[in-house]
Amino acid sequence: MARASTVATALALLGALAAMAPATAQGLRTLHVDALSMRADRLAIPVGATFHVAIHVHVREHVDALDELVVPDIGTMQSMGDERTVSHANGGTDVVETLTLTPTQPGPFTIQPAYLDAIDGRTGRPSRFSSNPLRVTVVAVGGNPVDAAADALRQVATVVAILIGLAVVLLVALALRRIGRTRARASVTVAAPVPQPAPTPTAPRRTPRDEVAAALRRYRTAPANGELRDLRAALFVAAGVPPGATLRDALRAQPGEPLRSALLAAERVAFGAPGVRDAASAELIGATERWLR
Amino acid sequence: MSAPRAVLDALHATIVGQDEVCEGLVLALIVGGHVLLEGAPGVAKTLACRALAAAVGGVFRRVQFTPDLLPSDVTGTRIFDQKTGEFATVFGPLFANVVLADEINRAPAKVQSALLEGMQERRATIGPQTYDLPAPFVVLATMNPYDADGTYPLPLAQLDRFLAKLIVAYPSLEEERTIVDRFGTGEPPLAANVVTLDDVRRWQAEAHAVFVDSAIRDYAVALVRASRGAELVAHGASPRAALALVALARARAYLEGRGFATPDDVRDVAPSVLRHRLSYDDRLAIGGYDPEDVVRRIVAAVPAP
Repeated sequence: MARASTVATALALLGALAAMAPATAQGLRTLHVDALSMRADRLAIPVGATFHVAIHVHVREHVDALDELVVPDIGTMQSMGDERTVSHANGGTDVVETLTLTPTQPGPFTIQPAYLDAIDGRTGRPSRFSSNPLRVTVVAVGGNPVDAAADALRQVATVVAILIGLAVVLLVALALRRIGRTRARASVTVAAPVPQPAPTPTAPRRTPRDEVAAALRRYRTAPANGELRDLRAALFVAAGVPPGATLRDALRAQPGEPLRSALLAAERVAFGAPGVRDAASAELIGATERWLR
Repeated sequence: MSAPRAVLDALHATIVGQDEVCEGLVLALIVGGHVLLEGAPGVAKTLACRALAAAVGGVFRRVQFTPDLLPSDVTGTRIFDQKTGEFATVFGPLFANVVLADEINRAPAKVQSALLEGMQERRATIGPQTYDLPAPFVVLATMNPYDADGTYPLPLAQLDRFLAKLIVAYPSLEEERTIVDRFGTGEPPLAANVVTLDDVRRWQAEAHAVFVDSAIRDYAVALVRASRGAELVAHGASPRAALALVALARARAYLEGRGFATPDDVRDVAPSVLRHRLSYDDRLAIGGYDPEDVVRRIVAAVPAP
């Protein structure tokens, strides 16, 4: 009996806790958050020095406090103080939370965004409003932030000086090139005329018949594949078709006898079986000679 | 002893025009290769095949390829004979000298494969037994390029097994008038048994002895290689195409009564060898280009020796 009573009590407690959760969600205030930002008074801080981070919130509503604002975790930094001011104006309420911090370790440090949860007055939905994060640089002890800034400035100045130097070199090079061209042009103007070589007399244009005659002479001297190819090509040109065409193309041009016989014989010599080439070769020479006569 | 020219004359006696188709069929017969004929319905594709088969004699079989065809309908099957108590082999239409595969692209891939396997190996397997196909053995397959619905397009690898693809075009005005006159009162009888199967076997052996100069061989290889880098071509022709070019050039020289092949022989047969062995990239369809123009450009770009 006592055990049942304990269970009932526990269940009742659980029910009460469950009922509290939606009550918390439902208990969000409706706010029109117009601004939520975070800034620091210095971004380069020596270890052990103090600096301030201000979180500013502006809401349209007239509120006495803004407990919903959650300040960010400051990690290894020491918090030296936390001050919150609330001021009212016609446009609503400004809340400024100022954190006074002292860094303990050198290096870059990012302060995560501050945020607040409320029901957005514009949409009527629960929302989380966040500020910007902050990135500060903590310099080692002995290091002066002023010196660091000066170092950065020096580096920038060096880069600018190098760029200016390159630009000057480029301009000088362009100027020299222009001067050189001007001089060259001037020298061409005053140069003595170059004596032109006497024109060589052009050889008389060879006719297809000449080409065939020359190819036939070479073929008769050495009836090898190369000479045969030259003679066949010359016969094709004489028939009016370019080398690379076929016999049918050449015959379509209707060459008269004995050029036709020469073309047919050349085909047999070029592609016939070795056993028939000798006879075909004699026929090729004979027909070509007849055509040349 | 008859010459292949007799078969060509027999074809011309039946078919009006279509000179390239008639010559292509005779060349394929001489080589012993298979032919794909493509053309619109009614342009005498089937008639040309029947005329060739009739002229050659031997056994002719026709298979109408349909979607419900089975491989055994082509190759044959084994049936149980109740009288003898044993299985008997029934040979399919593949066991013929000339096989007409009508509308080959209307049968499913497994039937096409059964036929194409027979074409390649010249053997067919029925049950546990493999049988040699008769010689000569030529498959003439037809395709209609227009009714693509419900067809099973032949893959490039299978198309490659056809020696040549012949385009059966519409006849000219004069040819069409002649067709109406010639066939107006019914189909005339086909010239039958103009040559014997022995004649065909002899031609095949003699054509093989036709001389092919190395320059002709190089020209055939150059044409095939040119197809691989050609504009609008995704995949060019295979080395099998070069073999087909040389074989058909030999056959053409033999048909002409020459003992050697010439560049004209290669150039004339090149379109029928190349056209079904090329696959084109998307620009061909998008630009509305004619594949035949691509083939013509490839052939024209390679100078003859």
